[in-house]
Amino acid sequence: MKSLLVTLNTRVLKVLLFLTMIMRYDSIFSEGNDDRNSDSELDSGSGSEDEDGEHPSNEAGLSDGVDNFDQGDQSASEDSREVVDESDSSEDEVGPRNTIGDVPLKWYEDEEHIGYDVAGKKIKKKERLDKLDSFLARTDDANSWRKIMDDIEDEEVELTKEETKLIRRMLKGKAPHADFDPHAPYVDWFAWDGAKHPLSNAPEPKRRFIPSKWESKKVVKYIRAIRKGLIKFDKPKEEPRFYNLWGDETEESRHGLSYIPAPKAKLPGHDESYNPSLEYIPTQEEISAYQLMFEEDRPKFIPKRFTSLRSVPAYEKSVRETFDRCLDLYLCPRARKKRINIDPESLKPKLPSRKDLKPYPTTCYLEYKGHKGPVVSICTDPVGQHIASGSHDGTVRIWEVETGRCIKVWELGEPVQHVAWNPLPEFPILAVSMGQDVLVLNTGLEKEENKMIADLLRVETTPAPDDSESAGSSVSWSQYDKYEGIRIKHFKTVSSVEWHRKGDYFSTVMPADILLILQLCSRSRACLTILIHLLSKKLTQRLPFKLHGLPVCSTFHPTRSIFFVSTKKNVRVYDLVKKKFIKKLDAGVREISSVSIHPGGDNVIVGSKDGKLCWFDMDLSSKPYKILKSHPKDITNVAFHRNYPLFASSSDDCTAYVFHGMVYSDLNQNPLIVPLEILHGHTSVNGRGVLDCKFHPRQPWLFTAGADAVIKLFCH
Amino acid sequence: MPKHYRPAGKKKEGNAARYITRSQAVKYLQVSLSVFRRLCIFKGVFPRDPKKKVKGNHHTYYHMKDILFLKHEPLLDKFREMRAYEKKVKKAVSKKNKDLAERLLTRKPTYTLDMLIRERYPKFIDALRDLDDCLTMVHLFAALPAIERENIQAERIHNCRGLSLEWQAYISRTHKLRKAFISVKGIYYQAEVEGQKVTWLTPHALQQVMPQDVDYKIMLTFLEFYETLLGFVNLRLYHSIKLKYPPILDPRLKALAADLYALTRYADAKDRTIGANNEESELRLAQLQDQLPANEPGALMHLVENVEDDNEDDEETKACKTLFQNKTFFLGREVPRESLLFVITAFGGVVSWDGDGAPFEESNQDINYQIVDRPTQSHRFISRDYIQPQWVFDCINARIILPTEDYMVGKVLPPHLSPFVDNEAEGYVPEYAETIKRLQAAARKEILPMPGGEHEDLENAQSLLAEGVIDRTEAKVAAEKKQKMALQEKQYHQELKKEMEGMQDAPDRNIDDVKNDSEENTDMSPQQLVKDDENMTMVSMSRKKRRLYEAMKISQGRKKANVETLETRKKNLKKNKKVTSD
Repeated sequence: MKSLLVTLNTRVLKVLLFLTMIMRYDSIFSEGNDDRNSDSELDSGSGSEDEDGEHPSNEAGLSDGVDNFDQGDQSASEDSREVVDESDSSEDEVGPRNTIGDVPLKWYEDEEHIGYDVAGKKIKKKERLDKLDSFLARTDDANSWRKIMDDIEDEEVELTKEETKLIRRMLKGKAPHADFDPHAPYVDWFAWDGAKHPLSNAPEPKRRFIPSKWESKKVVKYIRAIRKGLIKFDKPKEEPRFYNLWGDETEESRHGLSYIPAPKAKLPGHDESYNPSLEYIPTQEEISAYQLMFEEDRPKFIPKRFTSLRSVPAYEKSVRETFDRCLDLYLCPRARKKRINIDPESLKPKLPSRKDLKPYPTTCYLEYKGHKGPVVSICTDPVGQHIASGSHDGTVRIWEVETGRCIKVWELGEPVQHVAWNPLPEFPILAVSMGQDVLVLNTGLEKEENKMIADLLRVETTPAPDDSESAGSSVSWSQYDKYEGIRIKHFKTVSSVEWHRKGDYFSTVMPADILLILQLCSRSRACLTILIHLLSKKLTQRLPFKLHGLPVCSTFHPTRSIFFVSTKKNVRVYDLVKKKFIKKLDAGVREISSVSIHPGGDNVIVGSKDGKLCWFDMDLSSKPYKILKSHPKDITNVAFHRNYPLFASSSDDCTAYVFHGMVYSDLNQNPLIVPLEILHGHTSVNGRGVLDCKFHPRQPWLFTAGADAVIKLFCH
Repeated sequence: MPKHYRPAGKKKEGNAARYITRSQAVKYLQVSLSVFRRLCIFKGVFPRDPKKKVKGNHHTYYHMKDILFLKHEPLLDKFREMRAYEKKVKKAVSKKNKDLAERLLTRKPTYTLDMLIRERYPKFIDALRDLDDCLTMVHLFAALPAIERENIQAERIHNCRGLSLEWQAYISRTHKLRKAFISVKGIYYQAEVEGQKVTWLTPHALQQVMPQDVDYKIMLTFLEFYETLLGFVNLRLYHSIKLKYPPILDPRLKALAADLYALTRYADAKDRTIGANNEESELRLAQLQDQLPANEPGALMHLVENVEDDNEDDEETKACKTLFQNKTFFLGREVPRESLLFVITAFGGVVSWDGDGAPFEESNQDINYQIVDRPTQSHRFISRDYIQPQWVFDCINARIILPTEDYMVGKVLPPHLSPFVDNEAEGYVPEYAETIKRLQAAARKEILPMPGGEHEDLENAQSLLAEGVIDRTEAKVAAEKKQKMALQEKQYHQELKKEMEGMQDAPDRNIDDVKNDSEENTDMSPQQLVKDDENMTMVSMSRKKRRLYEAMKISQGRKKANVETLETRKKNLKKNKKVTSD
């Protein structure tokens, strides 16, 4: 064993290393070369036996080594015989010439020396043969295969025959020496028989006789794992990946909330074809026009034409679109939407035929021309023979209905706001609002009872101020000088005048500023903006209620003592006898412009400045029964017919609508409202169209007054 | 007390209790957002819109019941388990315990989506109904490259390819394909399976563009579900025609990328040897098929056409089956082989192609049509037509054999029209659609009236008016027409009269007179009348109905505008053509 170790000197080791590098035979000597120090230690331990002369080459090497030591310089051929034995403990042996030890040779790469000798002198590097020369040298020398380079010593070493043999044997995986028998019979040199005492007197321990606890524990663990199926010995059988999932057609319904299937992707149209008809391809101008559009409006897909299938490229957005679809599928909220696939015409309500609802005004029959400015207000006399009109040109005219002749003209000099005829046929009196004045004029159309009228229209020149309750201070009654009549001077502009059905009372509305109202209302609870005048006694009263908001117009109930005041937002209904507020009709429109009461008294229509017409059934609710969005512009006036089931609305869009509005005596039946006719004819002046409309009291005729200074009569 | 105030002890009610936002849901389920997303995709849970959005408009809301539904999903536990397991592996790796890590990796917990599919689609028909997206996705991935960076693995691409081809093989085998359309985006197919119309899109077989800003993880999650779904659907369909699934294919053909052909062969061969085979011999059989009938192309795919099958087929399937019957096609090298192979066999034709594994050669005398897509064809056989691939698609959409003159090699093709458009509903009929219609009629031996001859029946309107059933507008239109007619009639009578009298008066004056007469009757123009009428009906409609009506009118107007642009473009084109020809 020792001899074997001895032979494994460093040179051989180096050779082996070299060989392994060449042959990549790393498996055998991987242990040998990884730790040179251990080997050298072994060597040092056996240094004394080295001299036994097993290797004559050793001695030769020794002498050579001494020589080298002395000379300091030597040739390669001399060094070939050298044996480098790294046993440094023995004095007899000469260690390696280079003393750098086991350090990487890389450190000396750039230096001129390769290391230091024992004396600490630098050992110079030798000139290396260049490749060609070394190759030539190799080819010339038959022993070149034995020569290897020792990098540390920087010299070439030639291996001996024995050494090469040794290497060959090791490469084969055998013991290095031929005469070493690895399987020699064991010789027990220790003589047991003669020993008096055993080596140990301890009794045999118990554990020698019982099975191992830990082993059994391990076994139990394995058994359990096997039983549980954690350890499997045979590979699991390949189950078929797919099977008949819907084999048992049990009627199983989906769990969870109701499933809303995703809408299917849109199917392609003609324009998505690779070869669409030419008309589907947008022109260059159209494509450039797309750039001006908003990004959302821009078409996502621009049709393109390819002449053949081979020229169609891959669609660059195919992955992107599939991805978008995926996002839609899991991120978009889904909801069931009812999609109505019907003809839009079927949405139109089935209305009774208009033929059955005749008569109603359809065509323009007469035009009353003469005014110079927009005709603001018209009014028919209770019989229906005459019509009065007030205009912004400062005149009030009376026309004969049938002929269109102008009977009378009053030059009042100030724009007229409103005209109203006394509802009693025996008193042909006209109330005219004009600026801050209200005039009550005698028309002089009734010859016989002229005296009575004259009496009625006479005012004492110095009207004694009444008690403060009746607001006498703010209103003054006086005789009108220019024409026969009374002049009632108000403190604000009067917008409308309405007669009570009995022809004695009339109300005036002053849409004052909000500040003024506040001021007035703070002084007294009663409303100052609406006044009720009593013609026979020349008295003026305030409305004894508080009003919220600006009044727009007021009306008396056609049969009972009920008074309607409309503010901009709602219509307020008061009982004049009980002096009580009855109800509020909430129209829900932007601004009310006009109100009209059905002759029955239970239904009210309200026109608004946003073009809506609300029909209120007072018995039903305070909310509108029906809202008709008829006009695109402001509704200026609405009117009921006294006898026929007709009502009309006039608007600034130069049209007037005529509706059929049937109110049934049966309370369970709702009123029937049918639009009948749109009356055109007026022209727009300064953005204003038809300013007033009134029905004829007996006939189904409609008068309309326009901003174009014309009054029209529409007949059936 | 304000309405929205809730006392401390009181439970939430209404929308606040019923709907939760996505981040709330994620917190509630104690999962990460990505796991939540996976769960939603697998379970088919989608957000729902509450009537009142309590948390604000910019949130996504889920119904609480949906979230509870997710909460009780066994897959959720499985995901948690997998996450824990991954941690184990990671720990082993970081402690450099290689053995343990390897051992752990071999026993990774896995999950299947089988029960989820059953749950989402309790009946097979439900699955078919939802198959569109699935097929489109699988076909897309079959055409994508495998990208390691995006975790798109080659096996999955192969699996997708296999699944899509199996589906196509089934469709073509049972002649269920109804429509096909080459669009810029790819080729659309529509099949009718068990009464359900299934439409899918296959991309053009070219290098696809892979955008960077797409989250492939989401797509792969969807794909995972779709792969499973399509597998089960395919199995069911194959079993319904008594074929084994998964099919065993001839490896030689597979290697030549002729999988679809291999699949058709497989299906045909199974028909021939029903019940005779053991399972083991099938592979050998698949290989043998290749050698057996190699010389007889006609007999190859249609050796056995089961007669008893015909009884089950409905009319349309029969028509599809016989469209290309006894026709033999040969595909050129440059033609998209897979698509045409699928389409032609689905309509009963026999196909071969230029390349390895083809059933017969180009020189075969039975070939009727050779499909080529090149500018010129140098060597031609006289017995066959050389046509461009669009012909096949136009034929199957029209369900007749179209004349091949327009589709010859090198000709400018007629437009390829979409079969998915209802021209009548759209309001615009392209010129070529009319040509095809006439050809179809000719094929049915009917005679259609020539286009352009419109017979507007005036009497019709009058009779309608008499009945008093029609709308007012219609009556108005009719009245208008009547007026016009009366005008003409009057003029005619006057002229007659004059002729009788022998007077030679200026005709211009007469017409004016007549016009004046008629205008006296109605002082308004007919357009005004119609508009008035429209307004009046609008007035009497309720607001809801009016809005609906207006919306409908808007959409109708849009449609009309589209049609008008098409028509103007057509007119301009014609004008330009005339100018250039002059």
